[in-house]
Amino acid sequence: MPIHEKSLIRPENLREQDELVIDGVDVSGHWSTFIETRAVTDYNEAMQDEIAALAGGENIHRCWQCGSCTNACTVHAVNPDFNPRYWIYLIRLGMEDELVRDKDIIWQCVSCNKCTDACPRDVVPEAVMKATAHWLELKGHVDKKPSTHFDEGFSAQVIETGKIEDGLVVRDFFKRMGDPFRPFKEPYLVAMITGIAKRAPIGYLLKMGLALVVRPRTRGWAPARKGIEEYIREVDAKDRKALGLPAEGGH
Amino acid sequence: MSQPVLIVGGGPAGLSAAQALAAVNQKSVLIEKEDRLGGAPILSGYAKLVPSHEWASDAIGGMVARVEGNPHIEVRTGATVKAFSGGPGDFVATLSDGSKVEAGSAILATGFTHFDSVNKPEWGFGTYPDVVTTTQVEQMISSGGGIKCPSDGRVPDRVAILLCVGSRDRQIGREWCSKICCTVSANIAMEIREMSPETNVYIYYMDIRTFGLYEGEYYWGSQENHKVKYVKARIAEVTSDGKRLLVKGEDTLVKRPISIPFDMVVHAVGMDPNVDNMTLSAIFDVELNRWGYVGRQNAYATLAETSRPGVFVAGAASGPETIDDSIAQGHAAAMAAMGFAMSGVKDAAE
Repeated sequence: MPIHEKSLIRPENLREQDELVIDGVDVSGHWSTFIETRAVTDYNEAMQDEIAALAGGENIHRCWQCGSCTNACTVHAVNPDFNPRYWIYLIRLGMEDELVRDKDIIWQCVSCNKCTDACPRDVVPEAVMKATAHWLELKGHVDKKPSTHFDEGFSAQVIETGKIEDGLVVRDFFKRMGDPFRPFKEPYLVAMITGIAKRAPIGYLLKMGLALVVRPRTRGWAPARKGIEEYIREVDAKDRKALGLPAEGGH
Repeated sequence: MSQPVLIVGGGPAGLSAAQALAAVNQKSVLIEKEDRLGGAPILSGYAKLVPSHEWASDAIGGMVARVEGNPHIEVRTGATVKAFSGGPGDFVATLSDGSKVEAGSAILATGFTHFDSVNKPEWGFGTYPDVVTTTQVEQMISSGGGIKCPSDGRVPDRVAILLCVGSRDRQIGREWCSKICCTVSANIAMEIREMSPETNVYIYYMDIRTFGLYEGEYYWGSQENHKVKYVKARIAEVTSDGKRLLVKGEDTLVKRPISIPFDMVVHAVGMDPNVDNMTLSAIFDVELNRWGYVGRQNAYATLAETSRPGVFVAGAASGPETIDDSIAQGHAAAMAAMGFAMSGVKDAAE
């Protein structure tokens, strides 16, 4: 079946056969390209409950598809493919394949919360976008995004010591991103480091140097750390259980 | 002595008219073609009614009991009107058993007929046993039998309710909205979810018309409290993959074709004009409107007037109507009919 409007069809739905004869007719090759069905063939009934179980997704079932969120959306104004109303609909009906198709856009939410203000049903679409991004990560549909790596390193440091050491945050981030020497390759970072080294008072530099070797800690932090860790474990276990995932697993 | 009012039809509108007339000591004769009173809610075995959530057998059954025990109301079941002559104040109706009833005026409360889904063959009713109508689901609930697939008695994992079956469909000459089906379907969906929490219910709609105060309790309530899912889709056909039913159509919000398996498909059937309306029109010499319901003459002055003076109409006989509005119209028709029945008194006094 020749197709003249291939640009209208998703590339993954185009099928060419190397050798195929049907009822004596050779339908191989480019001029007999087939199109896979684009019909939605089932609903994943667990999907709405899964998103609703994650922090922020609780009110998703209230949506009545008015589109106020998409109309209000900062990102939608720049990228029309960013469409919270549409994704909420897909989630509510369980059209998983359709949602996953947009996995590389969903995380672009800038959390301006204009949608939250506009929503007449208190769905809190911004929180739903977060829950959805989290769901995509937990389900393994997407790799951890840079901001998740950053958050994890940042949180780990706070949990561990009760303090933030800026240099360590930056170094830890690039280590988590798989390239510990990145700071020395990024001109803006090199400029920043040399700038500080040149201009900062000696006492401050000494303090920074010391912090590199001896990590400062909040006094009496251990009980807080224990409490936080326990809470994180609980939430994580609850989320993973709601999504039917094995209990182990990272943040 | 005033003449009695002839009331044709013992459903909510007719019962209400009789009750209203009796309340002011006006006699009436209530003619019902079936062997018992109650109309569609009783005869078709409806379950819980909108908006009271009372069982039809309690709510409408109560109306029946009040009418049957009232000395001002003469109930004639198993009877139809065969001929109707005379004029306002002195009508004579000839019944199917040959007896004659003198009446000062008449109220047609002859109701509607459920749309027969066989007239939409592409949606599978009559072809697949698990394609049923809202009436059948009402009966499943009211009989206490529970929601089960007729084919093998299994509890459905997934149910689709198709709205606007026999309504808003110019293709088959049904250009009206039947008004009640959206709300009834939302109500049924909630009842299914309550009776069988493991059953998922999807409602396929083109618009949702849970009008007025039904918006909150039924449209929102079904989604917020019962997790009923609404899909904006037009259904092309209901077919089968050999094991389950396949609902095919287009999801108009996602703009993609769908072909979704279901265990049970429910047609939210609309309200057709009563199949007897042509006969009624001829016997009572009243005009039908362009859709085949008994025509109303006036929307703002005297309610319930037909094209024939002294003959009034109430309830779903004149178009799709809710039970509570049918009851209100029964009262309105009673008020109008009483004036004609009382004119006999005036004549005698002069």
